[in-house]
Amino acid sequence: MKTYSNYVATWVMLFLACLASLLFGAGTLELGQAFAVLTGQGTEDARYVVMELRLPRLVIGMATGLALGVAGALLQTLTRNPLAEPGLLGVSAGSAFAVSLAILLGASTATLTTLISQVGALAGCGLVVAATRIQGAGQDPVRLVLAGATLTGLLLSLSSLLMLIDQRAADEIRFWITGSLAGKRWDQLTATMPSLLLAGAIVIGVARPLASLALGEKVAMGLGHKPGLIRLMVIVAVALLVGGATALAGPLVFVGLVVPFAARSLAGADIRKTLWLCLPIGPAMIIAADTLSRLLVTPSEMPLGVITAVIGAPVLMVIIRARRIPAL
Amino acid sequence: MNSSLDSTDTGQTPLHLTSGHWLWRSTTRPWSLLINKRSIVVNATLTLILLACALSSLALGTLSITIPDVILALQGKGTTMHTFVLEELRGPRLLAGALAGASFALAGCLMQTLARNRLATPGIIGIDNAATAFAVASVVGVGISAAPHTMALVGAAVATALAFGLAGATGTRGYRFIIAGLAIGAVSGAITQVMLSSVALDDANAAYPWTVGSLNARAPAAVNALIIGLIVGYTLSLFLNRALITLQLPEPVTASLGTRSGRVRVAGLILSVLLTGLAVSVAGPVGLIALLGPELARTISRPGSIPLTASALSGAILMVLSDLAGRLVFSPLEIPVGIIAALAGSPYLLWILLHKSPDINR
Repeated sequence: MKTYSNYVATWVMLFLACLASLLFGAGTLELGQAFAVLTGQGTEDARYVVMELRLPRLVIGMATGLALGVAGALLQTLTRNPLAEPGLLGVSAGSAFAVSLAILLGASTATLTTLISQVGALAGCGLVVAATRIQGAGQDPVRLVLAGATLTGLLLSLSSLLMLIDQRAADEIRFWITGSLAGKRWDQLTATMPSLLLAGAIVIGVARPLASLALGEKVAMGLGHKPGLIRLMVIVAVALLVGGATALAGPLVFVGLVVPFAARSLAGADIRKTLWLCLPIGPAMIIAADTLSRLLVTPSEMPLGVITAVIGAPVLMVIIRARRIPAL
Repeated sequence: MNSSLDSTDTGQTPLHLTSGHWLWRSTTRPWSLLINKRSIVVNATLTLILLACALSSLALGTLSITIPDVILALQGKGTTMHTFVLEELRGPRLLAGALAGASFALAGCLMQTLARNRLATPGIIGIDNAATAFAVASVVGVGISAAPHTMALVGAAVATALAFGLAGATGTRGYRFIIAGLAIGAVSGAITQVMLSSVALDDANAAYPWTVGSLNARAPAAVNALIIGLIVGYTLSLFLNRALITLQLPEPVTASLGTRSGRVRVAGLILSVLLTGLAVSVAGPVGLIALLGPELARTISRPGSIPLTASALSGAILMVLSDLAGRLVFSPLEIPVGIIAALAGSPYLLWILLHKSPDINR
């Protein structure tokens, strides 16, 4: 019964966030106007604001939040580390660097960017998982996070190096690397959608085996699963999700930390329940943050990455101060 | 370590003091002077290396000057061109770089020693980023008109206070402190990005060196502040040296030796924050120097000692070398020193993180 009310509450939250995102912004819409547009009526102005400006942004925000939340939950279960977050561990930075490189070399089509971003994320993911298998350091959550921060710093420096080379690319990269949903169009979503759907299919297939892997490698093998294969599939899924999200909104830190943390504290340790709760919580967080980013400094905008960092940093502290992490 | 703690006065010189030290004891008064041969050798070598690096930094660049010409110009007998390049361009830059590097590394060494954790450097725990955010705030003019270096100091202090407040205390292994700093660093970095992306492009470009760490943006006032700060900070840290050594022992031993560990920690932390803030105001966030300098110094120094002087010298060497590399490698394009330091230092930091114990004594 408790779980049930949790689901309802989170979905209601998501609905409210979506509503706020449609209504608030540089020009405020009436509730009635927005509904009129959604049902196919409404004035020309309202129609333009909703259909061309806010709805793409809303949907892209939902996709981003969903992808990052799920990716965070998967990575945390796989590495058995509550701090394992794609942004903190350098996965997002890997894909951001790949995209910066692509922008510098002149790539601009959305499809190509997505693919490059996902390849970068895959490389980052591979590094992270390789690091977790090093004796001693891999089991220490904090050291892994520091290693991720270092990797992020290294990749950011490389990106800065690229920005020095070409001023035009520099402006584009500088805007993109903070993370923002501003000015996103439908075609960016259509370019990313296939890979996100593929990732979704993988997640559905791998959730059950992953839950048994969480009980231990031997248990998983006893239940007839192949730990190596599960790991590989999870890595691929995380890379697709994070790469896709980064291509859409730029590297967003802390989303993959906050969302699974909230979901876990509602649902408990079971990865499948956590994943179900990530579905509403992830999009709700991004959309709420994006709406805030529009409202706080109207008429201009605050980059989304700033809001997620401000929300996420305290959550990081809460996790650190909890007793759950060993070696603290 | 044992030798310097030795306070027995039996009239005989203990055996372990005869090997690596020169010891002078007054027979009439309770005075003694203990000099480590190895420290002398290490520091002398590092000074020579620093001088060599400084000379090459003066000589090399878009306009190459031969070493004899450099020396002539320094004596005031060079050509006008050489004198101009050395006195107006490369000399101040070299001075700023060496001082900032020394300051970073000294701050890093102090903080690592206090937290007993080699990862606890100002850069990793977000002090650099916060100082940068405050400095950028004054450059792009968010309603604050204080000088950048004052703001950088304020930022460093605020970050440290926040990290302590959030973490409770350093903890035995300093990890909570580090992660709290990581969070603060992330937020400060984000705020810096906001300020840069929301102002006019010219202002953003003016503040860009701040975000990566560069010796181009140095202000004379900041360099002067750094000179004074470094002299004061270095002298005070030498006074702390002995207490810092006893801090490495278990807490009861420290207390029974008469060290007030709380006071020493606070003093060391204040010094470290001060040095970092001043260095950031000159060179921007080149935080990895604070990790690499002490690490290099510790490798070549006597085991168990706190290599404050050697750290400062190593930091200066690394900074000067990074800047030189940044000027030469992609010449005429100049790579900011922060990027070079990050490119060189990050792989090493990763290696420490994944393969070594973070405890500085192991």
